[in-house]
Amino acid sequence: MTLRPFEERYAAALADDDVRTGLTAFQRGWRDSRDAAIDALEQQEGRSFDELREELAAIKDRVVADWSYYLDEFEEKAVAAGAEVTRVATPGEANAHITNVVKAAGADLVVKGKSMVSEEIGLNAHLEANGITPVETDLGEWILQLAHETPSHLVMPAIHKRKERIAALLEQVLGREYAPDDIPTMVKAARTQLRDRFLASGVGLSGANALIAEGGSIMLVENEGNNRMSVALPPIHVVTAGIEKLVPTYADAMKQVRLLGRSATAQPITVYTNFVTGPRPGQRQHILLLDNGRTAMADDPDVAAALRCIRCGACANVCPPYGIVGGHAFGHVYTGAIGLVNTAFHHGMEAAAGPQSLCVSCGACAQVCPVDIPLPVQIMEVRRKVVESEVAVPAGRITALALGAFANRRLFGLGMRVTGVVSTPFRRDGITALPRLLADRGPVHTATGWRTPPAVPARPARDTLKPGKLDEPPRLAAQPLAGRSVSLFLQCLSDRLAPQIPIAAARLLRAAGARVTVPREQHCCGLPAYDSGEHDTARAMVRQTMAVLADADDVVTPASSCLAMLGHDAPHLLRGDVDEVERAQQLAGRTYDLIGYLTQGPGRLPAGSLDDGDRTPVTVHRFCQASNTLGRQDVVERFLRDVAGVPVVPLPEASECCGFGGSTSLRNPEVARGILDRKLGCVDRTDASILITDNPGCILHLRGGIHASGQQVRVLHLAEYLAGRLDGAAVDGDRGPRS
Amino acid sequence: MTSTATGAAGSSTRERFRSGVEAAASTYLEQPDWSAVVAYVAARTDTVALAPSLAADKPDLADALEAAGCAIVVPDQDDPAASVADVAVAIVQGELAIAETGSVLVSEHLLGDRVVTMLCRQLVQVVPADRLVDRLEEVADWLASRGGQPGFASLMTGPSRTADIERSLTIGVQGPDEVEVIVLTATTDELVEGRP
Repeated sequence: MTLRPFEERYAAALADDDVRTGLTAFQRGWRDSRDAAIDALEQQEGRSFDELREELAAIKDRVVADWSYYLDEFEEKAVAAGAEVTRVATPGEANAHITNVVKAAGADLVVKGKSMVSEEIGLNAHLEANGITPVETDLGEWILQLAHETPSHLVMPAIHKRKERIAALLEQVLGREYAPDDIPTMVKAARTQLRDRFLASGVGLSGANALIAEGGSIMLVENEGNNRMSVALPPIHVVTAGIEKLVPTYADAMKQVRLLGRSATAQPITVYTNFVTGPRPGQRQHILLLDNGRTAMADDPDVAAALRCIRCGACANVCPPYGIVGGHAFGHVYTGAIGLVNTAFHHGMEAAAGPQSLCVSCGACAQVCPVDIPLPVQIMEVRRKVVESEVAVPAGRITALALGAFANRRLFGLGMRVTGVVSTPFRRDGITALPRLLADRGPVHTATGWRTPPAVPARPARDTLKPGKLDEPPRLAAQPLAGRSVSLFLQCLSDRLAPQIPIAAARLLRAAGARVTVPREQHCCGLPAYDSGEHDTARAMVRQTMAVLADADDVVTPASSCLAMLGHDAPHLLRGDVDEVERAQQLAGRTYDLIGYLTQGPGRLPAGSLDDGDRTPVTVHRFCQASNTLGRQDVVERFLRDVAGVPVVPLPEASECCGFGGSTSLRNPEVARGILDRKLGCVDRTDASILITDNPGCILHLRGGIHASGQQVRVLHLAEYLAGRLDGAAVDGDRGPRS
Repeated sequence: MTSTATGAAGSSTRERFRSGVEAAASTYLEQPDWSAVVAYVAARTDTVALAPSLAADKPDLADALEAAGCAIVVPDQDDPAASVADVAVAIVQGELAIAETGSVLVSEHLLGDRVVTMLCRQLVQVVPADRLVDRLEEVADWLASRGGQPGFASLMTGPSRTADIERSLTIGVQGPDEVEVIVLTATTDELVEGRP
């Protein structure tokens, strides 16, 4: 099967409003019911989700570690039960084998239960080219086959299609009218259409959710019953399965059942969980075990764990960019986060290249994966492979050049200073204010109409923070940092585009008693380069940062993203050198973001110490990686309530990415905009007039979006908000909080 | 087969099974024995399909149903699908009932066994209380104990359903749209003579 080029699929997804509307509703509904199902499972088992998924991951890893043993065991048992087992290396071999089986049986009709492997090998096109009619029998797949489309989701193949479109499609194909709201009648139409096909078909084809080595059995889970009929009724049953579907025992399969249904459709178990061992009397069974890049994955430690995948689709269901463009753009045949990883191995680097920049690196996928695949790290590794393979990526060259200039600290610093001076007339409150004549037209409007870009200030934060330049802030009654030296890591973006953020952080730390220093040579932790797949550049920047901060005591940054980079990604990037990893870990051990320093670190502020009496409600956007990578939940909210005494209105979907993450915001602004719109919609529902978050990237993005939308909400970094309360809360002598 | 009045796994297990069955949109019923099942089914339909393996296992069942006024269809070997094409109600026997999930494990190796659970709209699943187990691992044990013999065993949990159109739940797609699970509570699973 040849999918259209990525650019076309991406443009088509953006042009279809139904995709975003439908998927946003789907993601929200799924998240609530999945979380409830997992909570109930934890109660039932008396064990945490993490414990349960690690157990299943270990089972899957054990198979890959001893693959040929389990393959042999499965084959021996399946053959003993009467099956014919064939191992095939490529899609071509698989298609040829299946076609031969069908032709040898004299059949011209094949009914198919849902099988992602059959999509992977492009089986339908191959059968049709050989005069054989494949009929999809899963309702979603059947609809897509009628529409000449491919699945956009591993489990819910037609989730991108609204009922109105489906009703129109059925009317066109079946020649009678269907009311879009009358879904049962549409479902009944499928039943009527398919019933005769099941009975007339010479061959039934299914996939496999698990291959159980112990008994040579295939496990098939489903809700509709179409898979059972495809397996049971025709005189020949053909199974297509990837070799990673093996599990050693039936008991292992049950552990998969417990997590699969809940992770896929939030069901404790699907309606049917079928265990098929050999053919029935009067039937033949052919089992095809497909490699197609799987052993290559196993040999590559960067991605081997992706072979644990049980195809539940959960990674897509929490993925913000997937919610904007759907699976036709986000992925290839395999969609969602896992598709960004395994496509490179099943369909090649070129197929994998297009969607790479869609990932916002928010880390949400890794939180819900039932086999604990480190998807965010794997996506970064595949992105690196794509860059190294020199497959053409849209805007890839420009990004590489820009990163090269950015990586050079002096060159970048000089460029920003010049821009800052030149752009003075176009600057209002940290936002670019272009004359209307320019801003309302053409490409400038397309690029900035939805998000006003930040202005480049005349002076970077590092200049203002030179010794003696900053006024002495009021001193807090509590001095937890008295006598402590803090090195401020400014973060490249804040330093040059939002200097008020590190300046506010410095004021706050000094108000709590710290001596704040700003190492002059600091530049960037390497995250932008890492996000772009340019690992050599990223490593160089990490090393430069480590050298600059080598002698620092406590390091505090107003950017949680830098902390995630230094603590999680830097050791991964430097993994070739044990000493470097150790030094990176040591640095990470004494590096804090502001909220961490003020709540868990040495700078712990007592309750009420920043209460200036202002009770204007605020709401909090949680930086996605703070939740997903650093494991924080409502830390900022609790801090604001306790220490600042301010009411906090919970933000719906608080931990969802705002759309700034990764390189998406630059390369796929339409997606970043869609995610931002979803976030701003949630902000709107809180009625709060102040939005607080603690990552500068989010702030620039949210501030620009809110400015462009005209929403009356102030976006503040936690440091800015807290520093703004210093005057009212500070105690020098007998001045207490005003009330 | 031995059992106690509350079943092998106790009444709390049965309660959990019941709530699982109901959560899956099946109907849960208790009847003392097969005779009561016969009366229950005969009162609701005049034609019933029996899985061939059930008919073979309980040769008296077809007679009892006929005596109660039900025409019986046992799928024949030549064209089992055609023989149940017009039959609405089917009865199968479960191997195990699983409290954890509200599932019934049905073993259906023969094509004739399969067509009744796939093609009939209303499925009656009968399972003796002493076949009630707590967890899925006991299904794993059952499967493993078959030692790789050819077979087709399905955990069935509720009527066939789909949510493929806008995630809207619709009951009854390819398989049955109505499932009744009957747990037999008496100490014996033999047909009791002298009852209708």
